[in-house]
Amino acid sequence: MKFDGQTLAGNTGFKVGKKVLLVVVLLLLALLPMFPNSAYLVSTVTLIMIYMALGQMWNLLGGYAGLLSLGMQAFIGIGGYSLAVFSIDAGLNIFVAVFLGGVISVLFGLVVSPALFKMTGVYFAIGTWVVAEALMIFFSNWSVVDYAKGIMIRSVYFLTGEQIYYIAVLLGVISVLVVYLLMRSKTGLALMAIRDNPAAAESMGVKIFSTKLKCYMIACFFTGITGGVAYINLAYITPSASISTQWTIAMTFMVIIGGIGTMEGPIIGSIIYVALTQYLYNFPGISMTILGAIAVAAIMVVPNGIMGTIHNKTGFELLSPRRIMPPDWKKLLGVERAKEQVEAAGDKASKKE
Amino acid sequence: MNEILSAKDIGISFGSNEVLKSVNLALNHNEVLGIIGPNGAGKTVLLNILCGILTPTKGSVIFEGQDITHQKITERCRIGFGRTFQVPRPFEKMTVLENIMVGSVFGAGLTEKQAKKKAMEIASFIGLDHRLTWFAGKLGLLERKRLEIGRALSTDPKVLLLDEVGGGLTETEVGSIIDLVKKVKANGLSVIWIEHIIRTMLEGTDRILLLANGTDVICGLPQEVMQSKEVREVYMGNEDK
Ligand SMILES: Nc1ncnc2c1ncn2[C@@H]1O[C@H](COP(=O)(O)OP(=O)(O)O)[C@@H](O)[C@H]1O
Ligand SMILES: [Mg+2]
Repeated sequence: MKFDGQTLAGNTGFKVGKKVLLVVVLLLLALLPMFPNSAYLVSTVTLIMIYMALGQMWNLLGGYAGLLSLGMQAFIGIGGYSLAVFSIDAGLNIFVAVFLGGVISVLFGLVVSPALFKMTGVYFAIGTWVVAEALMIFFSNWSVVDYAKGIMIRSVYFLTGEQIYYIAVLLGVISVLVVYLLMRSKTGLALMAIRDNPAAAESMGVKIFSTKLKCYMIACFFTGITGGVAYINLAYITPSASISTQWTIAMTFMVIIGGIGTMEGPIIGSIIYVALTQYLYNFPGISMTILGAIAVAAIMVVPNGIMGTIHNKTGFELLSPRRIMPPDWKKLLGVERAKEQVEAAGDKASKKE
Repeated sequence: MNEILSAKDIGISFGSNEVLKSVNLALNHNEVLGIIGPNGAGKTVLLNILCGILTPTKGSVIFEGQDITHQKITERCRIGFGRTFQVPRPFEKMTVLENIMVGSVFGAGLTEKQAKKKAMEIASFIGLDHRLTWFAGKLGLLERKRLEIGRALSTDPKVLLLDEVGGGLTETEVGSIIDLVKKVKANGLSVIWIEHIIRTMLEGTDRILLLANGTDVICGLPQEVMQSKEVREVYMGNEDK
């Protein structure tokens, strides 16, 4: 844990170094397709962005709100099929179709949440999974979506890989931004408290049910949108592939490896997941086994995930939800106490070395 | 009427385990009421009933003349209850500043900016202002107990419910907790304080209630209760120290 004078003075929010890093990353993302021979990297980063958005939303639920969902693939299906049906059958613009997918996801979430929210823990997890399976079976028997046959999403054929890349980057960046802004808002304060100790949070006035519901709605919306974008990229959708536990495995893997309950966890996790699955293409059949083995090994080495471990050791946070001291903190504390605070912090820091 | 909070004929069972049979208590305005009783007597359960974590099987809880037996925890927090947990439950991955802010924002209804100022005041009050930027998970036991009190105060309560805040502390540390509770009382709050340590009860409370066998056995001035035959019977002579 690092508490230097700067932290105390209230500069944890965004130090210059972090700002530069973020600008560089964003610039690289913007310019990537212009580099020569970048086609493979562009398609890989497209996937990373899509998975990152899914991971951010799953982490919002599992890492902060205490809602371990195994059924978010329902909203990927809803998003994907909304894209297909609204853009082909209804002839709507694909972006409008994707947006509608988000809206329908929220509506669906609202319908199922009263029953799901009566359950907690493992029961909630199983409940969400059952709902997703039921939806998959329903889609497989529904004429509007061409039953289990699947739909060729011709309406997206005109898009180039580069255009899809930029759509995915926009989605990825927005997903991080949404979670970041949420964590910096009042709701974020409530979420961190719920994450650390729900009973204490409630006794201090935090309304757990409504906070969870709010997060669930946000996650439904963006997972639905991400489903739409994922199927802009895939261009062919079936019920069993879209509403598939494969997605949930990906989401949990990314978040747990990256660091559950941290904002950077899903970012790192998505990079690792996509890189790994690309590589494991070479080992068809046993790829899932290898993925599982890696997950187990990682949990044993870094139980809090990569970011969680780094954070515990160094206090480093790229995207910090920390509330900083007010600017006039020294005056408020009085000179003596302020000095003690800095000294205590210095103590800690120097002991680390 | 001088009562701010009272419990009338409270009973609660968990399955076949009847923990409280019939408990009556009254807390006066600006009073510190101590509750003693053997392990497993149901002291924590009683506190949970008062603050709304548990609903009693029978009886009622009256706060400022209103029946609040069925009011939710968050609602009771808003109308004026603050509580600590026997085993401190800090938000470990949040700083001390943030820990206290939670109550000021959600319990007292302040904006985050106001809550920050308030949190700093409270930190000074409880003697943790040199730990504001520390993660609560890194605090020692005395500091955790202080933070428990700070977080309970952050919701701007009228009634403070303390569950063994002195437990596990050294003699000197206990002294500083007694001083802290006295300061809380001087600020106009009413306090219910569960504790095992006799000294805290004698020095820190206005009245003591003995809870045993599922009921309020005796209630009165600290010296009287401590020397009563009821206390001696319940503790079987172990209380002479
Ligand atoms: N939520 C609960 N469910 C079932 N039994 C409980 C619950 N809470 C407390 N009890 C039981 O109530 C009894 C009193 O516990 P408690 O109030 O913690 O005692 P203490 O007076 O030491 O604080 C114990 O026998 C305990 O097992
Ligand atoms: Mg107890």
